[in-house]
Amino acid sequence: MTTVVVFNVAREPAAAQVLADGRLVWPARKLPAGEDDHAALAVAVGLAASDLVGITLGQGDPGWAAARGTSEVVRVADVTVGDDDGATAAALAAAVAEVDGAELVVIGDSEHHPGLAPALAGYLGWPVVLAATSAVRIGSDVEATRRAGRVEETVSVPIPAVIAVAAATEESSPPGMKAMLAARRLPVRDVTAADLGIAAVPAFEPTLTSLPSSTTARLIGGDPLQAATELVKALRAEGVLE
Amino acid sequence: MTTTWLVVTDPLDLCALGRLVPGLPVDSIVIGDRALADSSARTGVRSVHWIEPVEGVPADAYAAAAADIVLGAAPGLVATTATAPASRAVVGVVAARCRASVLSGVTGVSEAGDALEVTGGAAGNAVVATWEVSGPLCAFIAPADEAPAPGVAVGLTPHPDAAPRPSRVTVSAAAVASGLADAARVVGVGRGLRSRADLAMVEALAGSLDAELACSMPLAEDLGWLPKDRFVGRSGQQVSPRLYLAVGLSGAPQHLQGVRGAKVIVAVNSDPEAAIFRAADYGIVGDLYEVVPALTAVLASD
Repeated sequence: MTTVVVFNVAREPAAAQVLADGRLVWPARKLPAGEDDHAALAVAVGLAASDLVGITLGQGDPGWAAARGTSEVVRVADVTVGDDDGATAAALAAAVAEVDGAELVVIGDSEHHPGLAPALAGYLGWPVVLAATSAVRIGSDVEATRRAGRVEETVSVPIPAVIAVAAATEESSPPGMKAMLAARRLPVRDVTAADLGIAAVPAFEPTLTSLPSSTTARLIGGDPLQAATELVKALRAEGVLE
Repeated sequence: MTTTWLVVTDPLDLCALGRLVPGLPVDSIVIGDRALADSSARTGVRSVHWIEPVEGVPADAYAAAAADIVLGAAPGLVATTATAPASRAVVGVVAARCRASVLSGVTGVSEAGDALEVTGGAAGNAVVATWEVSGPLCAFIAPADEAPAPGVAVGLTPHPDAAPRPSRVTVSAAAVASGLADAARVVGVGRGLRSRADLAMVEALAGSLDAELACSMPLAEDLGWLPKDRFVGRSGQQVSPRLYLAVGLSGAPQHLQGVRGAKVIVAVNSDPEAAIFRAADYGIVGDLYEVVPALTAVLASD
């Protein structure tokens, strides 16, 4: 009867450093929390009937989750996030299997890792509700709400299940310094890939990266009237004003 | 001999076809109604395997059944877009059961000896990346602008015995159509606006553009300055106008997800470092209280 929340396993573009020659450098030690992590944690806290265990990988910050409600964090210390969502999901599924009584996994549904949550569910052999914005337990089921096109729908799945949560907004009230300091005292269990019976393969990365032909907006300067005139002229040339 | 598959649970998934290995036959697995299956059948694919969901059961519930069909044909490449949850759910099951690599933002796949060479955007399209994949690959494709032109239809292979996992779906609220979804031009406004009364200035700009007015989530949900069906974003309206003019919007990822389909994005913001400029095609760095009236005046004088 344990709920698991997976966090800090999405590489957000804002964390990347793009060098002048097109090389991409990701943080080696610590990843910032994913854009959807806070929403996933809030949903997980609401779903947890008893214990709420956090799971992260080698670049995760256990204190981030502990300050938001986890009672324990399991960190797979020698596995890091790469571009292959399948490889990340395999490591996370092995970690979930190590948590006693794990029956419900909540994870942020990152737009930059659209395969992560479904592949995690695939490895666990559990159903998944993707793009959820909220979820509640109803008996032995979870009812998750999500928006599909112009309608809002409620999907009900039996537990065990994976619920992937998409944040609608940024975190409105993050924990204060006192909570963050207290969270550092909560337990962290570091495990290795070998402990989980999986291979510690390096993060999957591109063989080559280059700068795209155009990366920024064409900025139009000058006084407001001059800028407005130039912009309208450019938009007419684009054919979007007709 | 491996096979190439297209997973279709949304019409946009068909737009992935143009990015796949040129010349390779593609089989498709469709979960949806007859119209979606027929559309898939006319895109030049070799076969269409069709699962029609029972009323009240979400397409996602058939993910394992669909994966069984794909896995029965030794898939080397399984492609779809990241649009529909059900397509992603199918890919998740396939990937786990054949231990496939899963990549996203893919814009091209070609053969490179025994491997696949995959190109796409990484770090939110900050760079163009090339990956080499030696095993099976599940690829989330950045959809091309259009689906293949309709051609001769292949026959459908229905799978009426496909069993769903226990799951139910109910529509709890249908959003009232605001006109945003089909608008050719949309003006979006954010927290850069100081007061509700100032909306009139932005409405005037929208009027001169013959555009619909939209906003970020805080303006609708927190401040109530505009109806909730006017907020654009991940959990709000998704728009695909030819022109999206963002006024006083910072460019939060949740908002940008709602305008991804826009052809041209223009941003007006006083902060030159605002994230909206990284998503925009054109930008004016300036005070919206000066730029918006200027734009309205220029458009009115044309």
